[in-house]
Amino acid sequence: MASKSNAVASFVEAAPPGELSNVITDIKALTSDSQVLKSLDPAYKKYNEEQFTTVKLPGSSESVVVSEYNALGVGRYFDTTSSSSFAFDHATQKASSVQSHTVESQHLDLIKSLSKALSTHASEHYPSSSVGVYPAENDSVIALVVVANKYSPNNFWNGRWRSQYLLKPNGSSMSGSIKVDVHYYEDGNVRLLTSKPVSISLSSTSASDIIRQIASTEKKYQEDLNRAFTNMNEGAFKGLRRQLPVTRQKVEWDKIGGYRLGQDIGGGRSR
Amino acid sequence: MEAALGLMRRMPPKHSETALSALLSLLPHHSSDLLSQVDQPLQVLCDIDSGKEFILCEYNRDADSYRSPWSSKYHPPLEDGTQPSSELRKLEIEANEIFAIYRDQYYEGGISSVYMWEDDNEGFVACFLIKKDGSKTAHGRRGYLEEGAWDAIHVIEVGPEEDGTAHYCLTSTVMLSLTTDDELSGTFSLSGSIRRQMNMDLSTAEGHLCNMGRMIEEMESKLRNSLDQVYFGKTKEMVCTLRPPAEITQMRMPES
Repeated sequence: MASKSNAVASFVEAAPPGELSNVITDIKALTSDSQVLKSLDPAYKKYNEEQFTTVKLPGSSESVVVSEYNALGVGRYFDTTSSSSFAFDHATQKASSVQSHTVESQHLDLIKSLSKALSTHASEHYPSSSVGVYPAENDSVIALVVVANKYSPNNFWNGRWRSQYLLKPNGSSMSGSIKVDVHYYEDGNVRLLTSKPVSISLSSTSASDIIRQIASTEKKYQEDLNRAFTNMNEGAFKGLRRQLPVTRQKVEWDKIGGYRLGQDIGGGRSR
Repeated sequence: MEAALGLMRRMPPKHSETALSALLSLLPHHSSDLLSQVDQPLQVLCDIDSGKEFILCEYNRDADSYRSPWSSKYHPPLEDGTQPSSELRKLEIEANEIFAIYRDQYYEGGISSVYMWEDDNEGFVACFLIKKDGSKTAHGRRGYLEEGAWDAIHVIEVGPEEDGTAHYCLTSTVMLSLTTDDELSGTFSLSGSIRRQMNMDLSTAEGHLCNMGRMIEEMESKLRNSLDQVYFGKTKEMVCTLRPPAEITQMRMPES
């Protein structure tokens, strides 16, 4: 029982970007044990908060983020930009019962200007993205999150970019992480999973300077990623198997076995 | 089973062993189906007689023992373990020798094993396996932990010989895993598998081994190209779609 619950939870946790519903369909085809399926609820919540699942609020065209930083408890989350809170169904990934919500923080002005600058940054660099800026850890830090998704199930690939930063107001540094998750599954199953912890020192506490630092960190990470692709292609990949043998010619099958083929008639050709 | 295999197509290949054991806990009655249909990273054992390593798979397994292609003995020892007919065993010995030459020419190292067994419709089946561990030979830069592993599984069903030709059905899977962990790019794991099938009717004038060898050589070179395209083309393209590189963004800037 416990191992079955762990099993289904591990499938949810590892679900590729945009494929949670497919994973759930498969899980439900494998087990109808209601006790086991019940254990999916905490797994959904963990998945949505970790993956920065985005959701459109009823009556709005903008997507908002679900994360541990904007959780209000009892299944509700808040959005800074629209000053609202909403109920979120973790299993269906749908939002409902939107209410107005006043974000309480002694850093409200900074949060608002960071939020604006982060939105501008994201729309410049990520064609399809959502951002969130929230007071976190009892208002001692400000959490900034960026998530960009691209789902192309017709072409059998999906991808997600996530960045998150924790900023101490008036502090001199900011820590965070950038993660990329890409799944390609035509005639196979290929997954890119990257994770990079970042630490950024700040020379100024103005919102625009902070976002500029984030922009340059993300730009550098993208360059490092591209370099890693190239290094792997030219290093590890080429080292595993050659395109052609050392002789630069395809194997002469009739000759490499020739010394045997002649002397051993029973070697299968008589079959 | 369909849902189980569907799930395996979505779980990170790097953690396929964990995913498989999770599936086994959900479907204890399908364990043999799961073990035979879910490809797992290849394991090796050392043949006690020859001192050479051989690759383990479902096709050389009997109970909890695995048959070595070198001595044809089971490890750990198993009385009455399944053996191919003496005629097929001769072909198997020859296939192992020839395939080792092929493997060395393309892989410059690695381990290979070939297993053969009779099937129900008067033909036979051969399984060609190659394992290359890139981490031992890779010259990692300082502070650069690099791992590369290539596991190839080729299963060829050979139909009965009729009028000097036979039907060959080849199903090939290559599992490729590449990882680094360094200060610049953080952890970077690119892993997965690609599977393809090829059917051919060929003259048996030059023997089964020539035909099977040529098919595997052609298939491996196609798979290598596909892996190159998917791992370093498509996956990288997806990252650039999520976050277009600066040059492209600057070109778009005037619009916004």
